[in-house]
Amino acid sequence: MSHATDESTQIQDPDQPTDSDQVREIGHDEFDPVGALALIGLYFLILVFLWFFMYFVEFLGNDPTVVSGIVSVVTGGVGLA
Amino acid sequence: MSNAYIDQFPAEAKVIRAAFYSSFFALALGGVFGIIQTLHRTGYYRFIDSADYYTVLTAHGVFLVISFTIFFLVGIFTWAITTSLDRGVEDLRFTWGWYGLMAVGITLTGVAILAGFTDATDISASVLFTFYAPLQAHPLFYLGLVLFVVGTWFAGVDWFRSWWAWKAENPDERIPLPAFMVLTTMLMWYIATLGVAAAILLFLLPWSLGLIESVNPLLTRTLFWFFGHPVVYFWLMPAYMMWYVLLPKISGGKLFSDPLARVVFVLFLILSVPTGIHHQYLDPGIAEGFKFIAMTNTMFLLLPSLLTAFTVVASMEHGARQRGGEGYLGWLKALPWRDPVFAGMALAGLMFAAAGFSGMINAGMNINYLVHNTFWVVGHFHLTVGTAVALTFMAVTYWFLPQVTGKQLWSRSVALGQVVLWFVGMTFMSNAMHRGGLLGIPRRTAEPQYDGFEFEAAVGSVAELDAQIALGGVLLTLSLVLFFANVVGTALNGRSDDLPDNSYAGTLSGPEDAPQILDNLKLWTAIAVVLVIFAYTFPLLSIIDRGGLFGPELVELPLSTLDLESISALALAVEQSTIATLETTADTATAVIAGVIP
Repeated sequence: MSHATDESTQIQDPDQPTDSDQVREIGHDEFDPVGALALIGLYFLILVFLWFFMYFVEFLGNDPTVVSGIVSVVTGGVGLA
Repeated sequence: MSNAYIDQFPAEAKVIRAAFYSSFFALALGGVFGIIQTLHRTGYYRFIDSADYYTVLTAHGVFLVISFTIFFLVGIFTWAITTSLDRGVEDLRFTWGWYGLMAVGITLTGVAILAGFTDATDISASVLFTFYAPLQAHPLFYLGLVLFVVGTWFAGVDWFRSWWAWKAENPDERIPLPAFMVLTTMLMWYIATLGVAAAILLFLLPWSLGLIESVNPLLTRTLFWFFGHPVVYFWLMPAYMMWYVLLPKISGGKLFSDPLARVVFVLFLILSVPTGIHHQYLDPGIAEGFKFIAMTNTMFLLLPSLLTAFTVVASMEHGARQRGGEGYLGWLKALPWRDPVFAGMALAGLMFAAAGFSGMINAGMNINYLVHNTFWVVGHFHLTVGTAVALTFMAVTYWFLPQVTGKQLWSRSVALGQVVLWFVGMTFMSNAMHRGGLLGIPRRTAEPQYDGFEFEAAVGSVAELDAQIALGGVLLTLSLVLFFANVVGTALNGRSDDLPDNSYAGTLSGPEDAPQILDNLKLWTAIAVVLVIFAYTFPLLSIIDRGGLFGPELVELPLSTLDLESISALALAVEQSTIATLETTADTATAVIAGVIP
């Protein structure tokens, strides 16, 4: 088995990051994932927004279910009388 | 000469190739049935009888979520074990043995399903992926599933044997991360498949063979979901593994944290199984309290998912910054978006984030009532297994194919077009499915169009939703065609000596930072078993107590004319007695109220 580390292989190698792609080496202590924090924070805000939006989509447009359903049965019963 | 997987493990590469090709064959079949049912449901093109729709639906479900996903999984897991432990399988005949068992099993199941299209035999299995009793399949269907699952059990044994042999030679070393992921996932799978094994071997197969008269449908359903929820993690874990061990490398960086990845897989081992009842929120016969426990366990599963979101994004960011990326969001531009392997996995991850939200809706007991059994659920799992898993698998295929065939990928541009097309197609289809579900459009229905009734859309119309679903389905089919073109084109290529090395991502924070206890597989398995006992003992006992082990008298489907007559007679009797009771109640109520109100 030979090595895929010689120059010509590296340049044509589509899946490995090549030396020309990598402009610097960032170690454990220098790396501060603020970008990940920003993206995940954004995702969290979207989730919170959707959670509130859910109330309008799923409950406001529909008839009462479960708990309020009991109330309608009771009032319905009185109406029957 | 290169140092690709096929150069290191030529014999194992053959097994993995066989598993991948089996997986792609299932994907092709499943895809064909997918477009047929998309066009049928939406009413654009109906060339099959609506009664056959359910055979199509069963084939689409079983071929995609059982054979496509699991064959791909065994391929990836074999790669992960051999590569990370740096040793071949212990006994190649055993490896081919479990592959053969899986292949024979799924062939029997597939034949039973496809035989439903012809009247030449009385074999059929149009019972959908969930095979709920009283829907009954031919014994071949159940037998095939059993062989397939037993095949996966032996595959697990194979991987454990490799690990034990490796451990004997390396007693003080930490389990390499990919091997750790394989072992924890398989432990979860062993626990989970006990449910479906019990459902089939004790009840459904004997019932289908005529050895027992009837089954308790709630019991077999509950046992199915004992397996049915963890199976979604069985699909997902290979995709997660790819996001942890391959994506950081493709991004040009390293995995952010090996310990966090281990924690995630341990959490999935512990929490995957005791959650299955959340698929049964609307089943009568299971007390609300048990459903509440399942919901609580389910919500805990958000933890490993969100840990994954952070770790994977941070690893991509590390790659992007090493490639010169700057700023809070500007680093995203430095990622290798033109690489189909990266683009496919990143888009799959993005879709999975959206699926996270619809999953939270499904998981909440009260909100679930509004979307249960609607098209929403179909939209949800086309984002999870249909994109997060399937698109990741297709994207990593572009990395794996050269590794296991020793041939250059046929076309990287076609590959890039393929993954983007899948993303766009699924955006149309899944979004419209979710919205359709909110209008109350049911799932598992050949013709969801009804005389004298219209689903009312607050925004848009049902016709517009149908158009989006059909368009999405067509784009997905095109994407599949491109995928297969690439697979076939690559297979026809000549052997190349110029392939990337077989390797996976390094770590910023390695296993030396992970507490030793994380590698204690016995401990985590014990905790998982205890949680399963807590979550399932009482619901199962209560179901058996109410409905009997083999159920009350059960009418088999499809009904004969005679049965139908007796049922309508029964229904009439029930209706009359109900009316009589209501009248008496109303009279009593009137009398009482008249007495109370002066």
